[in-house]
Amino acid sequence: MFGDLAALTGRALRKWIRNPAAVLPGLFTAVFYLALFGNSFNPTSLIPSNIGGFQLTTAELEQIRVSILSQTFGGAATYISYLTAGIISLILVFNMAFGGIDLVLDRQLGFLNTLLTAPISRASIYFSGVAQNMVKAMTLALLTFLIAVVLPNGLILGRGFGVLDFLGAMGAFALLAFALSCVFTALALSVKSIDSLVAIVNFATFPLVFTSTALFPEGGFPSWLLSISNVNPITKATDAARLLMVNGILSSAQLTTFAWDGVYLLVFAVAMALLGYLAANRALSPK
Amino acid sequence: MPEKLVRKVTAVIQAENLSKLYPPRTRAVEGVSFKVDEGEVFGFLGPNGAGKTTTIKMLTTLASITSGEAKVAGYDVKRESSSVRKSIGVVPQELTADDELKGIENLILSARLHHVPRSESTKKAQDLLKLFDLEEAAQRRVRTYSGGMRRRLQMAMGLVHSPKVMFLDEPTLGLDIQTRTKVWDYIRRLNKERGLTVFMTTHYLEEADGLCDRIAIIDHGVIKVSDTPSHLKEKIGGDVLTIGLSDGEDLTQFFNSVPDVSDVSREGQVYKMKIPRTERALPTIIEGVTKRGLKITEISFTKPTLDEVFLEVTGRTMREEEGVQESWIQNVNLERAT
Ligand SMILES: Nc1ncnc2c1ncn2[C@@H]1O[C@H](COP(=O)(O)OP(=O)(O)OP(=O)(O)O)[C@@H](O)[C@H]1O
Ligand SMILES: [Mg+2]
Repeated sequence: MFGDLAALTGRALRKWIRNPAAVLPGLFTAVFYLALFGNSFNPTSLIPSNIGGFQLTTAELEQIRVSILSQTFGGAATYISYLTAGIISLILVFNMAFGGIDLVLDRQLGFLNTLLTAPISRASIYFSGVAQNMVKAMTLALLTFLIAVVLPNGLILGRGFGVLDFLGAMGAFALLAFALSCVFTALALSVKSIDSLVAIVNFATFPLVFTSTALFPEGGFPSWLLSISNVNPITKATDAARLLMVNGILSSAQLTTFAWDGVYLLVFAVAMALLGYLAANRALSPK
Repeated sequence: MPEKLVRKVTAVIQAENLSKLYPPRTRAVEGVSFKVDEGEVFGFLGPNGAGKTTTIKMLTTLASITSGEAKVAGYDVKRESSSVRKSIGVVPQELTADDELKGIENLILSARLHHVPRSESTKKAQDLLKLFDLEEAAQRRVRTYSGGMRRRLQMAMGLVHSPKVMFLDEPTLGLDIQTRTKVWDYIRRLNKERGLTVFMTTHYLEEADGLCDRIAIIDHGVIKVSDTPSHLKEKIGGDVLTIGLSDGEDLTQFFNSVPDVSDVSREGQVYKMKIPRTERALPTIIEGVTKRGLKITEISFTKPTLDEVFLEVTGRTMREEEGVQESWIQNVNLERAT
């Protein structure tokens, strides 16, 4: 089982690495989002210095900015520091969603059939799909994080942010990535054409992202949106990673929040793995 | 084939009343029954859409069986599908080798997925690359392969785990005559040297004729006839022998007296007759003619082709069934066959 899983995942990743065209757009998107959202759409730079004839001093403006960051954006040093976690989540969601295209192609080109007549378990076919998309998306997540750190005016990590915090943040993203990969791999194995995959994915991803705290703080959410956002795993992963990235050293209350988010993500991931496996098994059994 | 009589003959593939219904109402295969013995090359001959691929899909556990039973390598296809998968090699109609991987990488991947020990897989891959004349292309990505090279690689991929039985779906589809002849040689060699049992499909008459020990003609999901190619042709009435003689007595009566000869006709000194197997009757005929002091001025015989068999059982020629692009191949086949 693990040998088969390794063989199949290895094949997919080898193809991926050999084809730089498959990696570069992902990186480009990351840089683009960071630069665009992080700087151009920075809400703290939108505060007018003159309000109804009342002229704010630079110091006052700065104070307002800091208050917005601390009260609305969870104490982030800059807007981009707040946003990075959300952009990583966004990248994970989109890469997972469209990563299934390779699997649909495998079906259409008959490669899947050669797997189905080989003496390997259906589980290894399914989990190799999960694993390959996860590795691809997590690589991009990692690169996005690094880019955010080195970008001028980029991510400013919380004081005391260390290796464990890094691992914690990436762990939260990995759980989200795994769960999403389970869902979208099962979907990709179940559909017959790329068109239907893209249609479903387009329909699903935007609501998923925009009902989470990935891009906007929940302060402005109406109550209905808040109740969705509170159970959205994207919110959980983003919040957990953001907590570490923004604060570095956590207070015990923050640590508890982080832990509960982690538990939530873990349970969700296991549930999606099981459901996805059942769906994939159905999709792979002879018709 | 005496060596086949000596060997203990066991059925490697056994299908009984196999049917496939694609909902809502496509009856792709309707109650086919057949048996393929160990070491045999068995061919399914039929036009596009006859149900050849569907039959292979059922036997290789890819498609569910709507009704009927099938055993492959002694295992029940429905209930013991994983044991079936361990015993078979499949070369599908479509080309599934990975374009972005090298030829050898595709082979090694196939070996790993069939649990060939790592210590053996490289050697096996090398052997097969050699057998299929792909050694030089082994390190190139499949993207750069020609259609014929892809087919050969595909066959190698289906063999890398030394299966007992091989399913070949249209192994020479889209190949030129030269490459097709080569592929036939490979199949013959694998069958002779390794005792591989082969189940193959084709819609090339010459291929079925030259390659298969036995064939089944399938049309609209139904097996019309099944036998050895020569028996099938014999049933059509055998060869037509044309023999021209020097002036002398009328030999119509003599020809009629030769066993198996029928339908003797005479035009001047040229006689025509039907014989199931000319090779067998010819010595008697020549001897009889010479004994009566006559000289043979010309002699020729034509073998019936499977096309005639096909016409007889389906009411159409294979050519009518083929697409326009394919018809030239049939023409070439017939020229070569006659
Ligand atoms: N997945 C499917 N769903 C519905 N109908 C199908 C499916 N696959 C095949 N068929 C139908 O079943 C019939 C037999 O198809 P099959 O592919 O077995 O033919 P074939 O003999 O292999 O033909 P070819 O020489 O073109 O490969 C055809 O009418 C085809 O349209
Ligand atoms: Mg076919």
